[in-house]
Amino acid sequence: MNFICNFPFFSILLSLFSGTICSVLSAKAAKLVNRVVIVAVGIMSAILLLYLLSTGEPFVYWMGHFPAPWGNEIRAGVLEAGMALFFCIIMYLSMAGGAHKLFGEVVENKHNLYYILVNLLLSSLLALVYTNDMFTAYVFVEINTISACGLIMIRQVGRTIEAAVRYMIMSLLGSGLLLFGLCIMYDLTGHLLMSNIKESVGLLMANGEYPIPLIVSVALMCVGLCIKSALFPFHAWLPDAYGYSTVSSAAILSSLVSKGYIFLLIKIIYRVIGFNIFNSTRIIDVLFVFGLMGMIFGSISAIRENDIRRMIAYSSVAQIGYIYMGFGMGTQAGMVASVFHILSHAATKSLLFIAAIGLTDVSGGSRKLTDLTGAAYRNKWAGAAFMAGSLSMVGVPLFSGFISKLLFSQAAVQVEGKMLASLIVLGISTVLNAIYFMKTVIRIYTSNRESAYPSVTFRDMKSYAAVLICFMILNVILGVSSQPVVDMIQLGLAMFD
Amino acid sequence: MYPILLSILFPILAGLFLLIRYRTPLSSRAGTAKRKTLVILTGSFLIITVLLTVIAIFTAKEGFTLFYLTETLPVYFRIDKAGTLFSLLAVVVLLCAGFFSFEYMKHEERESRYYGFYLLLFGVLNALCFAGNLITFYLFFELLTLTSTPLVLHTGSKEAVMAGLKYLFYSLCGAYTALFGIYFLYKNSVTLAFTAGGVLKASAIAEHGGFLLAVAFVMILGFGVKAGMFPMHAWLPAAHPVAPAPASAVLSAMIVKAGVLAIIRVVTMFGRDFLRNTWMQTAWICLTLITVFMGSLLAYREPVLKKRLAYSTVSQLSYILFGLAVMNEEALAGSLLHVLAHGFVKAALFLCAGAIIYKTGKTRVEEMRGIGREMPLTMWCFTIASLGLIGIPPTGGFISKWYLAIGSLKSGLPVLAVLGPIVLLVSALLTAGYLLPLTINGFFPGANFDYDKLQKKEPCKLMTVPILILTVLSVLVGIFPDGIAPVLALAGL
Repeated sequence: MNFICNFPFFSILLSLFSGTICSVLSAKAAKLVNRVVIVAVGIMSAILLLYLLSTGEPFVYWMGHFPAPWGNEIRAGVLEAGMALFFCIIMYLSMAGGAHKLFGEVVENKHNLYYILVNLLLSSLLALVYTNDMFTAYVFVEINTISACGLIMIRQVGRTIEAAVRYMIMSLLGSGLLLFGLCIMYDLTGHLLMSNIKESVGLLMANGEYPIPLIVSVALMCVGLCIKSALFPFHAWLPDAYGYSTVSSAAILSSLVSKGYIFLLIKIIYRVIGFNIFNSTRIIDVLFVFGLMGMIFGSISAIRENDIRRMIAYSSVAQIGYIYMGFGMGTQAGMVASVFHILSHAATKSLLFIAAIGLTDVSGGSRKLTDLTGAAYRNKWAGAAFMAGSLSMVGVPLFSGFISKLLFSQAAVQVEGKMLASLIVLGISTVLNAIYFMKTVIRIYTSNRESAYPSVTFRDMKSYAAVLICFMILNVILGVSSQPVVDMIQLGLAMFD
Repeated sequence: MYPILLSILFPILAGLFLLIRYRTPLSSRAGTAKRKTLVILTGSFLIITVLLTVIAIFTAKEGFTLFYLTETLPVYFRIDKAGTLFSLLAVVVLLCAGFFSFEYMKHEERESRYYGFYLLLFGVLNALCFAGNLITFYLFFELLTLTSTPLVLHTGSKEAVMAGLKYLFYSLCGAYTALFGIYFLYKNSVTLAFTAGGVLKASAIAEHGGFLLAVAFVMILGFGVKAGMFPMHAWLPAAHPVAPAPASAVLSAMIVKAGVLAIIRVVTMFGRDFLRNTWMQTAWICLTLITVFMGSLLAYREPVLKKRLAYSTVSQLSYILFGLAVMNEEALAGSLLHVLAHGFVKAALFLCAGAIIYKTGKTRVEEMRGIGREMPLTMWCFTIASLGLIGIPPTGGFISKWYLAIGSLKSGLPVLAVLGPIVLLVSALLTAGYLLPLTINGFFPGANFDYDKLQKKEPCKLMTVPILILTVLSVLVGIFPDGIAPVLALAGL
């Protein structure tokens, strides 16, 4: 076995242990460790991705060399490695973009705690991406929840504590349901490793045994993960959690944490239940309907919002709806579109959160839209970045959002029964997106002579501007040369079987 | 490949350069010198762009693919006849309005931003005209909306912002409605490249022809928003008048034509034979006739000159769409001629209105009594251009409306074949009704008018020459329609 095959394992352990180490380090050293770990994991994932592309075969890694069905396994294919690389990029940029705000947001002596949480979050995300074992997945879902809660709460103002408690309750409900589903699945199949469960599920379905418990188990797992990733009716925790936490936390939570759960759901669909079996159930119709509702209601809530951070947060609800709509189509094309949207939304939403903080900083810290008039002139880079992010969200060509919409619609046209509904809702949602994003863009570009707030120049915020530029480039790359990414997603999904 | 690319990229880069170089407003003290360099820079950029565009039109024979958006969707450019026609119109209108704005923009703020977006718009318009397939076209159609919005927003007043938002939402709604159709077209067609005679798969027509007709209708409605077609016309009278006058001229004479070009492309993609004599054609003709009549009527009742002109745009554009909807050779020729005629006339009229505002500050029609005595050259141009819009020989409007009427009568459609020319005539009367009073009161203010108050207010050459060029062109279209016949060889429809 090639040395490179150890990399997934290394990545998980490295981020896990660096988190522990951070607890005894000073804030500055912890920050350095955190950055180095993210970069190291990113490089390892990149090498792994190249290796997998060259071999064209996924591999399974036995932890401690215990073979299945007893041992714990890690599995890596193109999609896993690509996702890990992408998560690292977004996480690094989000951390770098929010670094200058951290001193104002978090008490000085808690900075190393912050980095512990981020490292733990990274390790749990990587584990969710790579693991081939359902119980390991559950354990890391919990780790993920706890670190995410910490990330919300570390900025100690009243609202974040409330938000964290809300998040905790909803999230625990979600993981509880996931655990229920898992228990039933274990009961039915006697396995915890994904590949083994899939074999047994296939047999059970073929023989027509236990149809109802099987569906219940799948449904419980789905609902659990839907709650955790804030699909429409379960999104109540989201606006506060994203809106009041530190800026890096908001960017990471919206673009990575919810995506980790969604990725786990994709793995469950493909590797645990089987794509065809999953699509033959009614569950996809339910996901489809809630996805569509999320697309509309999320945007409506965003329109009514007068706080820029909460507005962006509500827009996440709509975007998560898009992803679930893709699942609900029940075709390979829909799934590809959803996975692409995971990438595109992650790149855009973190950009928006980080750009928004630049705008609010030059408006006296106020997040009210009315106070942001002309903010784009006071902080030009943040203004440009916010505009780029908005255009991408609205789905203007040349940005990543357009490609997502294109892929969704191409997928929708192939599904007879759901074609019209998806296209119409896609259209309505796009217009709604345009309403609140373009409204905000025009507002920040409307010059306001009365404002007494100072402007900032490039020299005051080099690293911040660099992060914004990287994000914009990432967005445009996804929008202009999407084909290699789409090919990779297709290859990765094919490797799941 | 390079001429096309240059003609698109150069203005865009030049525009970005201006936006970045002059990002802070010019201060009044060091302003005059700086303003001079800004104007010279913009002027030379404009001229270079025009040259590049003309070179591209006459040298680039072959299409090329710039890159692939996705595996099967190339961003592809090719210059065809329809593109040439619109691009030539764009060159003339943008050049004239551009030079006009060097004088006009003196009394507006943030000039550099205006020029920057103006050049950006030029590049995007070129790209739009040279687009070789529907997806490329759509891409630049969206960009056109985005780059023209700052022109509407320019003054930054509350009214302008509301109008800008309205413009943006109507346009985006329209574009997405059209995109909706593109998905279906993509599924049922051989290619998305513009091909004469249609691209639909024969099997698709046989299987769900009725559905495809609905798709075509939806696409025309969607793109029709940009051309101000009823029922989605309300943005136009709001957005065009709030922009600075030269920008209104460009918006009204050129940007709305993007919608017309889009509809020409849609008709090409579906094929005229597929669309002719269907419920869709009937419905479309009805919509255009309603718009023609309603636009003129609203213009007749409107007291503010620029708004009146904007309503007139609503009406006149539907003349063009009417010709496209009738779908025979004569009507199409009439449409394409009217594209040119209306482009020159409306640009000239808006520039005249701009000159009046610039010199006197008057915006309402009833304030403009005696204006012909003060600004004779401007008002003469206004009068001649008005005659063009009304359709009095030998101006361009006469020839185009002639062809439109002939085409309609020849089409053999029940009722509409006759109703069409009648509506066009009534609307022409209304056009006379809303444009000529300006001339009449302008030159003959009546006995009770205080002649002593009159002053010479003729604007400088930078304003009058562009107006004059546009006016002369609008007449030339009428006198030598054969001169542009090769271009009109039905534009590959």
